[in-house]
Amino acid sequence: MSYNFDRLRVLVADDNLHIRTLVSAVLHAFGVTTVLEAASGEEAWRILGENRCDLIFVDWVMDGMSGLEFSEKVRTAPDSPNPFVPIVMITGHTSPERVHAARDAGVNEFLAKPVSSKSIMARVISVIENPRPFVRTKAYFGPCRRRRRVEHHGPERRVEDNVVKPGKKSANAA
Amino acid sequence: MTNKRPIEIFMPPNVLKAKMGNGKLGLSAVKRAEQAIDDLRGEFTGWVMHDVDRLVEAGQAYVKQSNEETLADLYRAAHDLKGQAATFDFPLIARVASSLCMLTDDTSYGLPLPLKLIESHIDAIKVIVRDNLKDPSDQTAAELAAELETQVAGFLKKHAAA
Repeated sequence: MSYNFDRLRVLVADDNLHIRTLVSAVLHAFGVTTVLEAASGEEAWRILGENRCDLIFVDWVMDGMSGLEFSEKVRTAPDSPNPFVPIVMITGHTSPERVHAARDAGVNEFLAKPVSSKSIMARVISVIENPRPFVRTKAYFGPCRRRRRVEHHGPERRVEDNVVKPGKKSANAA
Repeated sequence: MTNKRPIEIFMPPNVLKAKMGNGKLGLSAVKRAEQAIDDLRGEFTGWVMHDVDRLVEAGQAYVKQSNEETLADLYRAAHDLKGQAATFDFPLIARVASSLCMLTDDTSYGLPLPLKLIESHIDAIKVIVRDNLKDPSDQTAAELAAELETQVAGFLKKHAAA
């Protein structure tokens, strides 16, 4: 059985028309019928407020509100229409520092340039099949930044009493 | 030692999965996506030329007046080209643009950066697009790109040591 893409609404925010055109064409080819395009972070924010989006592709470097600022706003703004929406950051930045910065902004996945149909496909499948739990602390709200499940031998800083199981509410929740 | 930072971990509903159902990406969708890119391929050279024109303008502006604003514009144009050119089948342009990004990413060396070296990058990119060089193993272009990378590495090393 194949995925059913036709009910998805995807927002593509990139100030470069050509990259926007390419990503949108690939998404349409997958079967996505509603691809909303934004040429800036500000326009993306407006569209997000007016439409229920299931997935966002956003470019990192844009004039005005950058993709990083947009992602932070989606995750943490009190008036955010959808703080849980998966965000895929389109970027030419691949240095560890930049990747950490994007993770700190609440980005789920990276789509590194050059962009291809295979790389777009891989990111879409990853957000569908490997959803990450969300974490709320005083300083961060967004997808868990621990990329892989790794054996942890250091002190346990996620104190059990403060961890909320799905469906329960934390006494310490911010 | 324990660190009692309040933390909440929870799994939001997987809306995407609920909408898309259990399944996989069908082969036909993959083929359609590749066809969609092939259909756009005829536009790629024009798109890259548009980005190259922007880089040329930014380079001219920086050479004319070297300041943080013109440098930021130049870096941005090079950075965009680095990502876009490889996407649009010009990996050699992406390579040269990447080298130019390395050179223009940091203003801590003071301004102006070596203008001749900046111009050489832009000239190389103009030649690659003019001659439609899409094969990354093109010997002359690859040697030119390697030489530019060497010069940038030398400049950065010299100034990092200073």
